[in-house]
Amino acid sequence: MAQQRMALWAAEADIDEDVDLSLALGTYGQNGAFDDAYLQQPQFDESTFIAMQQHMAQRNAFAQIPDVVKSFIIHFHQAVQTNNLPEITVAYESGWNKYTEKFYAKTEWPEAEIIAPLVNDDPIFLILYRELYYRHVYSRLQPNIDDRFHSYENSCELFNYLLNSDGPVTLELPEQWLWDIVDEFIYQYQVFCSWRSKPKTKTDEELATLADGDPVWSSYSVLNVLYSLIQKSRVNDYINAQQQGKSPEEIAEIVGEYGQRPLYRMLGYFSIIGLLRVHVLLGDFTLALKVMENVELNQKSPFTRVTACHVATYYYVGFCYIMLRRYPDAIRTFVTILNFIMRMRQYHTRSYQYDQISKTADRMYALFAICHALSPSRLDDNIANIAKERFGEQYTKMSRGGEEGPPAFEELFLYACPKFISANSPPYNDPDAVLQLLSAEGDSTATDPTHRHLNLFLADVATQSQVPTLRSFLKLYTSLGSKKLANFLDADEEEIVQKMMVLKQVSRSVSHVSGEERGLLDGQTIVTSDLNFVIDESMLHIAESTIGRRYAGWFIKNTERTQRIYDDLKNSPLPVVKPSSQPGAQNAAASSSNEAPQKGPKTGQKVAWGGAKVVS
Amino acid sequence: MQAWITPPTRTEIIEGLVSGVDRYNPSNVGILEDYLYHQIRSEEYDCLANLAILKLYQFNPELYNPDVVVNILIKALTASPLPDFNLCISLLDERPINATLDEPDPLPGLLPILNGLHDLLNRCRFPAFWEVYRSEQLENLRDNYTVECVGFEDSIREVVIRAVKTTFTRIGADRLGSYLDLSGPQLEAYVKKLGWTFDASRSVISVPPNPDNQIEATVVQESIKLPQLTKVISQAAKG
Repeated sequence: MAQQRMALWAAEADIDEDVDLSLALGTYGQNGAFDDAYLQQPQFDESTFIAMQQHMAQRNAFAQIPDVVKSFIIHFHQAVQTNNLPEITVAYESGWNKYTEKFYAKTEWPEAEIIAPLVNDDPIFLILYRELYYRHVYSRLQPNIDDRFHSYENSCELFNYLLNSDGPVTLELPEQWLWDIVDEFIYQYQVFCSWRSKPKTKTDEELATLADGDPVWSSYSVLNVLYSLIQKSRVNDYINAQQQGKSPEEIAEIVGEYGQRPLYRMLGYFSIIGLLRVHVLLGDFTLALKVMENVELNQKSPFTRVTACHVATYYYVGFCYIMLRRYPDAIRTFVTILNFIMRMRQYHTRSYQYDQISKTADRMYALFAICHALSPSRLDDNIANIAKERFGEQYTKMSRGGEEGPPAFEELFLYACPKFISANSPPYNDPDAVLQLLSAEGDSTATDPTHRHLNLFLADVATQSQVPTLRSFLKLYTSLGSKKLANFLDADEEEIVQKMMVLKQVSRSVSHVSGEERGLLDGQTIVTSDLNFVIDESMLHIAESTIGRRYAGWFIKNTERTQRIYDDLKNSPLPVVKPSSQPGAQNAAASSSNEAPQKGPKTGQKVAWGGAKVVS
Repeated sequence: MQAWITPPTRTEIIEGLVSGVDRYNPSNVGILEDYLYHQIRSEEYDCLANLAILKLYQFNPELYNPDVVVNILIKALTASPLPDFNLCISLLDERPINATLDEPDPLPGLLPILNGLHDLLNRCRFPAFWEVYRSEQLENLRDNYTVECVGFEDSIREVVIRAVKTTFTRIGADRLGSYLDLSGPQLEAYVKKLGWTFDASRSVISVPPNPDNQIEATVVQESIKLPQLTKVISQAAKG
């Protein structure tokens, strides 16, 4: 691939020449005296001078762009212009990252205005370029307030172009990039909100800008973009039509001119996932699941092709279930995606998103450990073992209950929870209120959204703190007087009876029963514990369900494996019967001397074995 | 869960607001607030519609009406052990001291009290709930809010009944009375209305069998679903 690309760029030599011409001029521009001589204008105008200076600076900056980067940008632009998806993908997924590592690991890419001559000032490409430019600033550098405002404006320009042109635009972009656009948009919104919520760290200038920059990154504007993309693409209608098995013609009819184009359809779908995320960040867990009501969570949907999106979807859905106290649903969600990630790992180590995916996976193992401690189940031993391996210490504390539990829950929750945000800005436009905020004592962690959600979660956990102890006692009996149990626990009998009601309560949960419900919010009450009990006046009766040994999975797995080995054997070419080749193969395995091939098959074999013996 | 997601009493207009984009339109807050007060008067409950009000408050702090918030939280209390109360609190963003209100904001004072009541219900500490609820400290909450909420005490009793009927086959009358904050003829009448039997001689109440108070030791056998076997069968068919 790399070779092919080189060839393409070489073919662009003409344009490069052009560029070099201005580049040469640029270097002359560094000489100030020479420039002064040039400026033989009788009336010296300051603004012209500034414009001139800027022009010179731009030329200088342009001159500093390495030639390979220039060719890369030109090539990238052509790929975008011709909607050449394979070429765009290569440029986007490997080229950009390659040159980032090489030239821009610690600095910004050249600004869009500077590279504009390379791409004939193509406004659409420049918007896309800026999208990448700012994403790089956010991920590698520290965005300043201008970056934050400008990246927002650029996103608006992009979405405006997509949504408000005359009819659907013909632009095509790889699915991965489309997801990244939506994902990054929400990420920057989240980063902006949390940055905005800390007035004490702002300079006076920043405070002034924030005071009159209200609509920038407002929740309404973000939601507006996402809903517009969903509505324009009619992606919900598309999903429904697909589920009803409609023909491609019918679907095309239903989704209209926008929804027929992959760009809009994918952006629409990614916007649903984006909404899920935004609502979680804002603490609206029911609405988050409600916007997903048409989406079927499974591995077969064509939308799962973008792994990063697929993983994010499950992470946020699983987290919602935790906050709805639907731990079995959360466990099921995490198990599904963690198994998926494990299976896909071999294909993803090369992807530039691998780091992000494995970080999210780690957080999901932590959330899984939390759910597993609150609602023990035997859904997937494999995942449970990995979770216990990674978070063994916390897991032990969490599942034992008692005093050590809450700190362990807190630690994992803070590690694994989404980065919650406040929907609204502190009152920067009200100088008095700002002063008040700035002079306020103490830190604000007590009131920040993350701690609000943490405290709610910990209150739920505290309700359950005695559950493990009670369970371990009940397991020893088939019937037990409540007074006796109270004595064991050194507690009042009435108190124990109330705790038994809590125990019963946490052994039940609303859970999604597949096939019967519509939407992720729906569910039925199920029993989540194999320990059941009932109180007859003051006598506890206990019954435990046991799960018979499971053989099927083992047999199915091994049957399939044997079948695969058998097929492989059958499909592999028969060994060639030439006398010399056979010992060669055997020798290679035994790493024997190189004399062997020259001898006959029988001697060769002897040498091989003999050699092995000598070594041992 | 269907009744919780879409209560049968929800009107079409409200359904449109709950499920559509119009839920973000601040000018619809009045419709939803009226619907809340309708719920309060008519012993109805619609969690998602109430969360839609809180969502509008979250995005438009100028709409904030503390009385509405308190009423939403009171309604959510009665949904225990469902997480409704927490879901509401999750949406209550920290708000700057609001100068636009005519009167001092009652919510900061009431919030810890409501939290406490929720905690007691969640921990099934029903006698303690009634004690706190009837205490002098909560006079403000009772006189200004719960008194308006028709059937509030009865809906707390329903929370109690939900917990009791999953846990007990029989329960002492005194104990149940303390959970329900009822005694004597009132308790008898309440139990009778539930269709539970009252054994006056022993002062014990029998809870009819339901899926949760029937226990049985079982061995769960694995069930193999057809899709698990697709690969194996398709191979066999090929062979």
